[in-house]
Amino acid sequence: MTNLWPLRFREFADRSLLFADDAGGFFKSDASFLDRYASDGLTSSDKEFLRDSGHSYDKQFDLPWTSFAYRWARRQSKPQDLNYVILVPTLRCNLACGYCQVSRVAETARGFDWSDETLKAVLAFLKTIEGSEIKIEFQGGEPLLRLDLLEAVRDFCRARFSSAQFVVCTNLQHLDEAAWAFLEADDTFISTSLDGDRETHERQRTHDRARTTTFFSNLEAAVARYPEGKISALPTVDVTAPPDFEALLESYEKYGIRSVYLRPINHQGFARKLDQGENALARWNELHADFIDLLIERNHRTGRFMEEYYFSQCLKRVLHFGADNHVDIRNPNFFAADYIVVDHDGRFYPTDEARMLSRIGRIDLSIGDVTSGIDRSKVQTLNSGAFNHFDPDCIHCAYQPFCGTDVVDDISRYGRIDLPRYETSFCGRHLAIFDKVFEVIYRQDEASKASVATWLGIADWDISMLAVHS
Amino acid sequence: MIPLRIKVEANAEQPFVVRLRSFEAMPGTERGACHPHDVCLEAVDANGAEYVGEGGSLRILGIDPSEIDGDVLLVNPQRGTADRIIRSSSPHNTLLVTERCDQLCVMCSQPPKKQHVDLFEHFAIAAMLAPEGATIGISGGEPTLFKDQLLGFLARVMRAREDLHFHVLTNGQHFDDADREAMHALDRSRVVWGVPLYSAEPDVHDEIVGKPGAHEKLLSNLAFLCRVGAQVELRTVLMRPNADGLPRLARFLAASVPFIQTWAIMQLENIGYARQNWSRLFHDSSSNFSPIARGIDFARSRGIDVQLYNFPLCTVPLPYRNLAPSTISDWKRTYLEACRDCRLRNHCGGFFEWHPKEHGYAGLGRAA
Ligand code: SF4
Ligand code: SF4
Repeated sequence: MTNLWPLRFREFADRSLLFADDAGGFFKSDASFLDRYASDGLTSSDKEFLRDSGHSYDKQFDLPWTSFAYRWARRQSKPQDLNYVILVPTLRCNLACGYCQVSRVAETARGFDWSDETLKAVLAFLKTIEGSEIKIEFQGGEPLLRLDLLEAVRDFCRARFSSAQFVVCTNLQHLDEAAWAFLEADDTFISTSLDGDRETHERQRTHDRARTTTFFSNLEAAVARYPEGKISALPTVDVTAPPDFEALLESYEKYGIRSVYLRPINHQGFARKLDQGENALARWNELHADFIDLLIERNHRTGRFMEEYYFSQCLKRVLHFGADNHVDIRNPNFFAADYIVVDHDGRFYPTDEARMLSRIGRIDLSIGDVTSGIDRSKVQTLNSGAFNHFDPDCIHCAYQPFCGTDVVDDISRYGRIDLPRYETSFCGRHLAIFDKVFEVIYRQDEASKASVATWLGIADWDISMLAVHS
Repeated sequence: MIPLRIKVEANAEQPFVVRLRSFEAMPGTERGACHPHDVCLEAVDANGAEYVGEGGSLRILGIDPSEIDGDVLLVNPQRGTADRIIRSSSPHNTLLVTERCDQLCVMCSQPPKKQHVDLFEHFAIAAMLAPEGATIGISGGEPTLFKDQLLGFLARVMRAREDLHFHVLTNGQHFDDADREAMHALDRSRVVWGVPLYSAEPDVHDEIVGKPGAHEKLLSNLAFLCRVGAQVELRTVLMRPNADGLPRLARFLAASVPFIQTWAIMQLENIGYARQNWSRLFHDSSSNFSPIARGIDFARSRGIDVQLYNFPLCTVPLPYRNLAPSTISDWKRTYLEACRDCRLRNHCGGFFEWHPKEHGYAGLGRAA
C-alpha cells in the first residue's frame, strides 16, 4: 500500500497547476490530475510518477520515507550561534536622505553616540560570544563620524576572535586620510547605497551637485583602490519614481558589483512618513518582476551575467534544501540567534527594522541592553510567531516550504501579527516573487535558461530538469 | 611508482607493526620519547639501514631511510617483506581489511579472494601511530563482512585519537538496525562512508555488481545510514552500461538519497576485471560528456555536491573542470605522451600507472 505525502497546489495564469509537498518537492500538472488526486482516483501512472519523484512511500523508515523526512528537516532552519553583530556607534549623519532608513540625527546633535561606558559594555558583550568567528557591521547614522569607536571595536575583535570581518555601511561623503586608512585593511569591507545613475542618486540622497560629485568620486576612488568584492552597494527604489533600471545596472556593473539587491523604500524609520500612494505593493511586485525580465534580457545581450540578490536566494530556496541564508526565507526565523543589533544607546534589537520601529515610538521592540544582557523572555515572545508551519493560510499555500516570516514587518505595518496572511505585505511580496521564480524556471527560451543556470551556479539549465506530469 | 612493499630482515616469528624513526629528522627529540612500537635508525650502510627498538632490531633493504621516516610498517618476518601501511608523507593511506567480497563487480579493480587474515589488531596499532590529523582509508574486498571488528576498531581508535578521520569503502550490503548503537558510538563527523550506487534501475545495478537483490538491499541500508547520521559519499563508476542512466540517477538521488555529502562520478580504472572487460565497459568521456553533464547539472541544481574522480582534466568540458580534483593517489599516478607540455598538468590527476598507452580518449590533450 502506497502512502502519499499531502500535496498543496497553486494555479498559474496559464491554467497549469503547481503541486508541492511539505518538504518542498514540486511538479506541474493539470486540473484533471487534481481531480484524480482529490477524488482518490489516481491511476497507476500517477502513482508511479509520484513514487519516482519522492511524493510517496511504502512503509515507515524505508528509503523514500527517510529521504522525505530528511528533506523536510533540512528545510527548517535551526538556531545558530551568534556570529554577526550590527553596531550603531552613532546616529549622527552628514547627509539627510529624503527617506532615511536609519532615523538619523543631525551631524552636530549631542547625545546620540556611544558613551565610554557603552563602548566598554559593548566590548564586554562581544567577549561573551563563544564562537571563534565574528562579523561586525557598523551602521549609523554615519559610522565613520566615530572612527575612534570603530577602531576600538576592531582592535578588540581582532584580538578576541580567530577570524573577524568588518563591514562599514557608509554614505562615502567625507573620507579623510584616517577613514581611508581604516578602510584599507583586508578584513574591512565597504557597504554603501547607490540608487542608480547620478540623477536618481542625487534626487533620493545627496540633493545637490557637489555632494553627488563627492560621492561618486569617492566610490570611484574606492573601486580603483580595492579588489573586487571589497565594496558592496544596495539600491533603494522609490516605487512612485523608479530609476531607469538599465542605467542602474550599468552603474553597478561599472563599479564591479554584479549582484544587486533591489529594495523598496523601507516602510519603517522616517520612510513611513512618506506617502507611497495606493497599491505600493502591487507596483513594487510589478517593478521587481520587470527588473528580473530586464536582467534576463540584458544578461543574454551582453553575456555578462548579473543577478538580483533576493531573487537568486528565492530561486535556490525553491530548488535546494538548506538554502536559507536570507532571514526572510528562514523558517522558523529565530530572533537574537545568529545576529543582533546594538543601538547608539547600547540597547539590543532583534533586527535593524525593529530598531527603527522602536525609535519612531510605535512599539518598543528592544530586547535588553549591553549592560543587563539579552531579554530572553521578550525574544521568546517574538519567536513564538516566527514560523509559518501552523499559520491557517500558509498551511494551504504551495509556497510554504520555501517561504518564511517577518514578525517585525507585520508589527510595523499593522501593529499586530495575527492578520490573515494573504493581507500582509510580506505575503504579497513572497507570493509574487515565488510566482516569478516558477514562471522563469519553466520558461524554454535560451535567455531565461542561461540566466537561471548562472544564478544557480551550474553550466546548463533546461525545463527537462523539472517535473511535469499529465 | 612509489614502492608500497619493501624488503626487510627481522628476527621474529609473527608479523608485527613498527614505526620508523630517524633522529636526524627529528632534531631535539629525546630517545626516551619513543613509542614502544617505534624503531630508531642506528646505522646506514651501502645495502640497507639498521633500526633498533624495544622489541629488537630490523634491517630495511633497498630504500633510502629518508624516504620512509615516520612510516608505519606491517612486517612479515617469514617472508622478509614489510608493507608501508601508513606512509607519513602521503595523504592517501588505506588499510585493506579483507580480500573477501560478496559482490562480483564487472569492473572490480581488486578481484576478491577467498582467504582472509584478520589484521585488525595490527591496524589498531598502526592507526595509533599515524601522523597528526591523518585521514585513513579502509578498503577491501568488503570491509563490512567483518562489521563487528571494523566498528569496534573504528570506535577504539577514534576515541584514542581525536585528530584522525576515516574513509570507509563499503558496498553497503551488510548493515542492519542492530548496528545502530555501534554506529552512534562513532564520531560521525570523522567518518565518511564511500558507498557505490551505479544506477537508479535495480537490474542495471545488480548486473554490474553481480548480485541479484543488491540494489534493493543497498537502498534500505542507505536509509539506515541516513538515520544514524552517517556521512555518505555516493560513488558511481562511469561505464557504458550506466552512462546514459546518469541523468535518471541524478533525479533519483535528489528525490531519494538527498542526504549524501558528495556524489562522486568516477572514471574507470584499467585494472582487475575492468581491464578484462575494458572494451565493453569504458566510456570515453572526452567524446560524449553529455549524459554526465546532464547528471551533474541536475544534481547541482538541487544542491547536491558533485565531484569527478579520476577524470583526466582535458576530457572534461571547461564548465565542469572545477569539479574534477586531482584524485589519483600519488603512488599510482602517471602522465602520458600527450601530457608533456600540458598547461593543466599541475591540476590534473593524470592516469593510473597501469592505464594502457592506447588510452581510449579521442579528445585527450585537446585542452593543452
Ligand atoms: S506568507 Fe504567503 S506566500 Fe508565504 S507561505 Fe504564507 S501564504 Fe504562502
Ligand atoms: S593532457 Fe593535460 S589535462 Fe590531459 S591528461 Fe594530460 S596532463 Fe591531464
